[in-house]
Amino acid sequence: MSILVNEKTKVLVQGITGKEGSKVALQMQNYGTKVLAGVTPGKGGQEIHGIPVYNSVAEALENHPGINTSFVAVPSFACLGALEEAIKAVHPASGSKISLINVLTEHIPIQDTAKAIALARNTSEESGVRKLTLPPSEVEEKIRIVGPSSIGIISPGLGKVGSIGGDDPRGVFRKGNVGVISKSGGMASEVSWILTQAGMGQSTVIGIGGDILEGSSFADLLEEFAKDDLTKAVVIFGEIGGTYEEDAAEFIKKSKFKKKVVAFISGLFAETLPSGTKLGHAGAIVYGEKGSYRSKIESLEDAGVKIAKTPDEIPNLLR
Amino acid sequence: MLLFEFEGLELFDKCGINTPRRQLVSSPNEQIEIKGPLVLKAQVLSGKRLAAGGVIKIQSDPPTRVKEYLTQLLTETINHEKVEKVLVEEEVEYEDEYYLSFSYSTEVRGPVMTFSSSGGTGIEDKRVKSYPVDILSTSEVKKLRLHLRGVIPKELIDTALKLWEVFIKYDCELAEINPLVVDKKGKILALDSKVILDDDGDFRREEKFSQRNSFGRPATNAEIEARKIDEGDHRGTAGSVYWDLPGDIAVLAAGGGGSVVNLDALIALGGKPANYTEHSGNPPREKLKKLTKILLSKPNLKGLWIVGGTANFTDIYETLMGFVEGLREVDPKPAYPIVIRRGGPRDKEAFEALKEIGEKEGFDFHIYGRETPMTSTAKIMVDLAYGKEKLSS
Repeated sequence: MSILVNEKTKVLVQGITGKEGSKVALQMQNYGTKVLAGVTPGKGGQEIHGIPVYNSVAEALENHPGINTSFVAVPSFACLGALEEAIKAVHPASGSKISLINVLTEHIPIQDTAKAIALARNTSEESGVRKLTLPPSEVEEKIRIVGPSSIGIISPGLGKVGSIGGDDPRGVFRKGNVGVISKSGGMASEVSWILTQAGMGQSTVIGIGGDILEGSSFADLLEEFAKDDLTKAVVIFGEIGGTYEEDAAEFIKKSKFKKKVVAFISGLFAETLPSGTKLGHAGAIVYGEKGSYRSKIESLEDAGVKIAKTPDEIPNLLR
Repeated sequence: MLLFEFEGLELFDKCGINTPRRQLVSSPNEQIEIKGPLVLKAQVLSGKRLAAGGVIKIQSDPPTRVKEYLTQLLTETINHEKVEKVLVEEEVEYEDEYYLSFSYSTEVRGPVMTFSSSGGTGIEDKRVKSYPVDILSTSEVKKLRLHLRGVIPKELIDTALKLWEVFIKYDCELAEINPLVVDKKGKILALDSKVILDDDGDFRREEKFSQRNSFGRPATNAEIEARKIDEGDHRGTAGSVYWDLPGDIAVLAAGGGGSVVNLDALIALGGKPANYTEHSGNPPREKLKKLTKILLSKPNLKGLWIVGGTANFTDIYETLMGFVEGLREVDPKPAYPIVIRRGGPRDKEAFEALKEIGEKEGFDFHIYGRETPMTSTAKIMVDLAYGKEKLSS
């Protein structure tokens, strides 16, 4: 198999009449992924690359009950609304819902991302202020969001959702049994290319995005890879800032994750810069010791993860 | 964007949080309207201001030597940052000091309230507790009030609700009061503020704040110019993040992730980067032209490294031709080695064009495609830039 994306993936494109939306819709079709419908409010009735456009997600789902995935490429100010629509839409007769949402949009206000994550978790019944006892991976994710600022998800040979691999994913990705999870879109491709050159194909490659808050973390996706027969090993591309790398280490230890994990962490040089200096990704920001390079390397090594010093060392560490 | 204390206090005022009587001065000659005893606080972005001598208390009433102390603070440099403004504040006597903040946590992937019953300086080393806040149900303040019972002292609940309002209303990444104090009459006051605004919320926030440099020094010309490139043009990014560094190898790196990987590799090999910047998301040719000109305006460069991973959708031909257009306008004409490693859409076309341009126009291009590992070109760059000079030093 693979995780998240396979031959049963049926995609809705939110923002299909926009530049990115229409471009990525065509890329997905060319890679053999079924794109059933698109949405742009006020532009229903058109067709883009032969794909019917609707005014709302509910309308699209009503006409295409098979939709199980949404790709979101709407402007950042409209993104929370688009996500809320995708999360809440239910097909009236069958009760089917969208279970995977991939968000390409960058620069979404963090408050809006937090609201979308909370909506997708559907935790409104356990509302309010509670003590910090529940690790996020134990909260049942009813709907998985991958992103914001995500390059997408590809299961080579089976399908892709999002912009990953551009027009020609075949030139970079090969089917195989290494899973790749990356905060960086460019590095998701670069790492996959290094693996492909070394004769190692990929089961699924996911760009989780480099924002402070992300719908899916390394730990969430390791949990998926743990259940996937095709995946024999996982590569993590992380960087300074936040705690997703430390959480992944914690998950590997606690769940006794059996597959080999190799990690590459970037951002060592940033530690020579003043605290709070912003780099390429919104989440790559360090205040004090928390989220530092050292903290990530130490916790991952402690969990038995092999650390690559340069990306080209990854294949050897997997062998 | 990190706000100055006085800017954060203004946001607190707008949401009804009590703050001390105060006056912002930028010259020692200004008439002080606040009655003593006074606290003079240098307005700087870095922390640890007290330890660095940025706070002066004047106990006497009426206050004496105010002008002298103001002159002292206004000529000071704290943690490399020149003091431009001083907040003159009435001193508040208090017994209890607390720490209270709202921020986003990657551990719970949502907002958290952090509280400590012993606030003040050195909070990093004290016991604090964080509590996740449900961002959906707390749109009703009544509900949040209910949840805060038993979590923080009763008398602080109103202030916490107002701070939450600041946090949400102004799209903050952090809204922090430290210390939050109770004065002798039982009045709750915020004696300091630390507010970090989410830049991605700028479009819907009415309050505008002047640009600043978190680097602890005024922005350089190159930094100011580079950040203008993306203004009003949302097609990809180029130069939005740009830092001048003290080295001599200019780096035109692609990708928010890859750019950092490559700088790490360059430094590990002894290369000294002249800057950090990145471009991504398929920026148009003009943006690369502008960025190249700014980057190469720096004197005494020993090399230029154009580097990126295997792009998903950035048009390599367009971006590299934008670079060439910028390069042609750099004066004096760069004679130093230029190492290029890129991969992605239209890369072969780009390399053929570059080869021809290099030969015809006399640029020292060293071109590598996706078959050459990205970070291995760091060594090529360092060797070419420093040559024998590096070996002998």
